[in-house]
Amino acid sequence: MADWILGEFGNEEELLKAARDLRQKGHLDVETYSPYPLHGAPEAVGLKASKLPLFALVAGLSGATVAYLIQFYTNAVSWPINVGGRPPHSAPVFVPITFETGVLIAAFSIFFGLWTLLRLPQPYHPVFEVEAFRSASIDGLWLSVETALSSETERLAERLRALGARQVTVVRDQP
Amino acid sequence: MDPAIQDTLDPLPLIAGRHEDESLTRVIFTPVWEKTRRGWWFLFVLGLGGTGVLVAAVTVTLAQGIGAWGNNMPVAWALGITDFVWWIGIGHAGTLISAILLLFQQKWRNSINRFAETMTLFAVMCAGMFPVLHLGRPWFAYWLIPYPNRMNIWPQFKSALPWDVVAVSTYFTVSLLFWYVGLVPDLASLRDSSHSRLKRIVYGIFALGWRGSTRQWHHHKIAYLLLGGLATPLVVSVHTIVSFDFAISQLPGWHSTIFPPYFVAGAVFSGFGMVLTLIIPARRLLGLEDVITLKHIDNMNKVVLATSMMVGYGYLMEAFMGWYSGNKYDLFAVTNRMFGPFAYMFGLLIICNVLAPQLFWSRSIRTNLIVTWIVSVLINVGMWAERFVIVVVSLHRDFLPSSWAQYKPTWVDWGLLFGTMSFFGTLFLLFLRFLPAVSATEVKELRKELAEHRAEATAA
Repeated sequence: MADWILGEFGNEEELLKAARDLRQKGHLDVETYSPYPLHGAPEAVGLKASKLPLFALVAGLSGATVAYLIQFYTNAVSWPINVGGRPPHSAPVFVPITFETGVLIAAFSIFFGLWTLLRLPQPYHPVFEVEAFRSASIDGLWLSVETALSSETERLAERLRALGARQVTVVRDQP
Repeated sequence: MDPAIQDTLDPLPLIAGRHEDESLTRVIFTPVWEKTRRGWWFLFVLGLGGTGVLVAAVTVTLAQGIGAWGNNMPVAWALGITDFVWWIGIGHAGTLISAILLLFQQKWRNSINRFAETMTLFAVMCAGMFPVLHLGRPWFAYWLIPYPNRMNIWPQFKSALPWDVVAVSTYFTVSLLFWYVGLVPDLASLRDSSHSRLKRIVYGIFALGWRGSTRQWHHHKIAYLLLGGLATPLVVSVHTIVSFDFAISQLPGWHSTIFPPYFVAGAVFSGFGMVLTLIIPARRLLGLEDVITLKHIDNMNKVVLATSMMVGYGYLMEAFMGWYSGNKYDLFAVTNRMFGPFAYMFGLLIICNVLAPQLFWSRSIRTNLIVTWIVSVLINVGMWAERFVIVVVSLHRDFLPSSWAQYKPTWVDWGLLFGTMSFFGTLFLLFLRFLPAVSATEVKELRKELAEHRAEATAA
């Protein structure tokens, strides 16, 4: 149960200023939308550093370890084959597969970690109710603020206009 | 020309004409939204016909076995492996442009990365067919995966061939993930700029509900950078491992430590050749001349020139080491390449790979589209010849003259090469029809960066 107030802004400075202003007033559910990443936007809406690099590191190292162990187990423990008198456990020849598998698993963790962090795929979102919001992926700069108190909605819409929004729309959540 | 983004010291712009975000999106999406042209259908039918040849050649290979190819003893590896190395090398330019130039923050990559990455995907698909068909019994290809089985056998990981399997499949998968992550914001733009409900739904499904929110961009940017960081060592490792197929054997002409760097340089060289071959007609036909400008062609030609010199150095060192080793088999391998029965292939590769790119020392030739296109086609031919020389010419005369043999490809060999080219072309036509060949998101970002850069320079 929440109302979404959306405003479209004419330029980046006004958009980020509005986002910072609303956050300072205690509205933490502020989000900006743009066709490409904007400098300073994550700070303006209060985002912390992404955890993806950590996911990738852990996954990559685990992938590499498992790949090495599989090669070690199959070729040196389970069924050692003497190839030209070389040792069954021969670390240098296990390097290529170890490396490749580490990269593969790290890439999977980034890919699936990204969609998990973003909670995508998500076919429906209140912002899609607004037809004009289609410009957000073309050339439009938008800001949304979410509020659980419907008494606040009108005041927030006013506030967005005062902060320089060119158009303001309210998406009311159906009870 | 837009004065807001024009660098006064550099007469060639990265984005030509005056553009805003909206007009850039329109220019880039026009080929997707406009009606299918007759020329497209013509090429598409042609491509499907050629793919039919591929199907026929594959069917014959499956029904008759490798005997349908021209392979013999001692030439056990022939066109199949030549084509495999050729295709996978072509793929490497895509990753170089999208990942390595991303890490080096080269702005010009933004306009051509989508194009080159897609080329990578399709080239690796073509490449992957050859080793699998070459197995002889491709229906047992899954034996290459270590799974517990009643036969109680495992893959032999001390052989370079299982390395190949892992390297090529990892390369394809990572390239696909990287490509799709970069594509999602553009799919959202396509969803939002579509004029029919069906298109809106289809692009909407693939856009996964992307909204372009700060939170999404924040993680997306990191994910893209990390995938680029992973793809960079990956691309170097893949062609290194491909070169190990040869280098860890004992055959003169293969057994050489120069192979890994020489193969990677050759791969990037041939890939840029293919990007140029495709992009010069495509930018014209799709009306993308404002976003893929002469500056891009100029920069790519510089990379071509640099990698051509590296490849040339590789040829020189191979010849030098053949003599310097003091080993008569090594020296024979080198002289047989230059003066043996396949001397014409060696001549072809020197002309195409070393001499032709020297034209690019001149700036006016680097920005001359016709000359560039011809040279790029020569590079494709030359790099195929190089792999032929490495694979076939090294094998056909090895240690004992009594085991020498001449090699002659069959129609199935040529059918597979021609067929994969047609298959590649068909896939590329489908890509150009349904997806934007240039990343609208990244070009808009580039425009903003250039404008900011220019504003700073004017203020200073």
